[in-house]
Amino acid sequence: MSGEYMVEIVDLHKRFGFHEVLKGVNLKVKPSEVLVVVGPSGSGKSTMLRCVNGLEHATSGHVFIEGVDITQHGIDINAMRQKVGIVFQSFNLFPHLTVLRNVTLAPVKVKKMDAAEAEEKALRLLERVGLKEKAEAYPAHLSGGQQQRVAIARALAMDPDLMLFDEVTSALDPELVKEVLDVMKDLAREGMTMMVVTHEMGFAKEVGDRLIFMDDGVIVEEGPPEDIFTNPRSPRAIDFFSKILSHL
Amino acid sequence: MEVMGINGKTRIALWVIGIVAAAALVAFLAVFFTRFEAGKKFVDEFFNWRVFEKTMPYVARGLWVTVKLAVISEVCILAAGLMVAMVRISKVKPFRFLAAVYIDVIRGMPLLLQIFIVYFGLAYMGLNLSQFVAGVIALTICYAAYEAEIFRAGIESIHKGQMEAARSLGMGYLKAMRYVILPQAIRNVIPPLSNEFIALLKDTALVATIGLAEVFFRGREMMGKYASVTPLMGAALCYLIITLPLMRLVQYMTTRLSMKD
Repeated sequence: MSGEYMVEIVDLHKRFGFHEVLKGVNLKVKPSEVLVVVGPSGSGKSTMLRCVNGLEHATSGHVFIEGVDITQHGIDINAMRQKVGIVFQSFNLFPHLTVLRNVTLAPVKVKKMDAAEAEEKALRLLERVGLKEKAEAYPAHLSGGQQQRVAIARALAMDPDLMLFDEVTSALDPELVKEVLDVMKDLAREGMTMMVVTHEMGFAKEVGDRLIFMDDGVIVEEGPPEDIFTNPRSPRAIDFFSKILSHL
Repeated sequence: MEVMGINGKTRIALWVIGIVAAAALVAFLAVFFTRFEAGKKFVDEFFNWRVFEKTMPYVARGLWVTVKLAVISEVCILAAGLMVAMVRISKVKPFRFLAAVYIDVIRGMPLLLQIFIVYFGLAYMGLNLSQFVAGVIALTICYAAYEAEIFRAGIESIHKGQMEAARSLGMGYLKAMRYVILPQAIRNVIPPLSNEFIALLKDTALVATIGLAEVFFRGREMMGKYASVTPLMGAALCYLIITLPLMRLVQYMTTRLSMKD
């Protein structure tokens, strides 16, 4: 496998007990591409995303990150994960640390970055997500949208080559969704490679280079977001988009 | 202010009734203990000032041994308990199984028995430990099993998203434990661990059975010498001097910690 693709997923299967969640997923993501993943709940999109940074182990198949197979035994998964940032639906900020220390913890403890340098970098990142003034606050004192923006800064602090977004706006109050999406749009414009599981069709249309529609553990449709929205071919996609887009 | 539908007048009435009842009880006890033969005998036996005066300094000197035993044991227990808890939740099944067996077997036996097994068992093996060291070992073996379960519950109470977030930032399992999970877990287990420490402090009295001259041992010794229960009451006082403030402190910490949430 060459390093031509940022992510290459080959015949990925994932089973939880008797329940097969992923039934053979094949996918390639190019550097700087923004891939949007949509599909009904239970379709396996989050599981696929979690396989990309090894939070879930593939039952069979392969996941290559920059040409390296992370499903292989003996792989340094911690080193691989530094290249892949993930942002969760439930934020998962560290509640016992200030915003600043949330962002500096991994660079200092994992990358052995100098504390002062890490802080300077963290403040730059917090400024970028518009939260520099909250550096000394604890996560419990932030709104959901603010927490999620800190979570993005925390992931970016490790200088990842790829960012995964797992329904990052689903737990937010509607009026807080935009501030998080705006940060993600900036990131996309700057050329970050992104895999975004989302229900935000407006975001998909605006920044998505490509969209995949998953259902029942496989990729059903794939193409430019606009095309799939306006012209879904499979009955399942037609059904899904008619339900979702009727809300807009 | 109305509390549970009780108005001011009723509250005053209740106070009066309470005070009158308490005064009556005190008066009754005072009469019983000073005017009746049985009462006088009881006081003479349990609260004999002359005996107390003579024996208390000797008994109280055991307090230093008791506190030293409890504190040194507690340090060992915290370290061992945390280690056992980590093994108990490890992904390696045989390890997990061994830790579970240890925890259950130890919790299924009386501490007194464990003290005897450690002290006499090790002596038969040619290891002549002092009663103090044997006491530390036995208390550590026993209490580590209980505190391991407390640590485990504390660790498992942390949402699994915390571990996932830490791991996805490239931290190894142990680093994630150390910097993310344990700081949160330990905060949660401070109150239950403090209660365990109070229990430990009282259980050090069991080490008297192998001859360690701590508070209870000395109290019992003086009881024999003076043929009076009073030295035991002195020993009781020694424990209370330490445990009562500790209990209040734990109560205070618990409210403080829960208020922060």
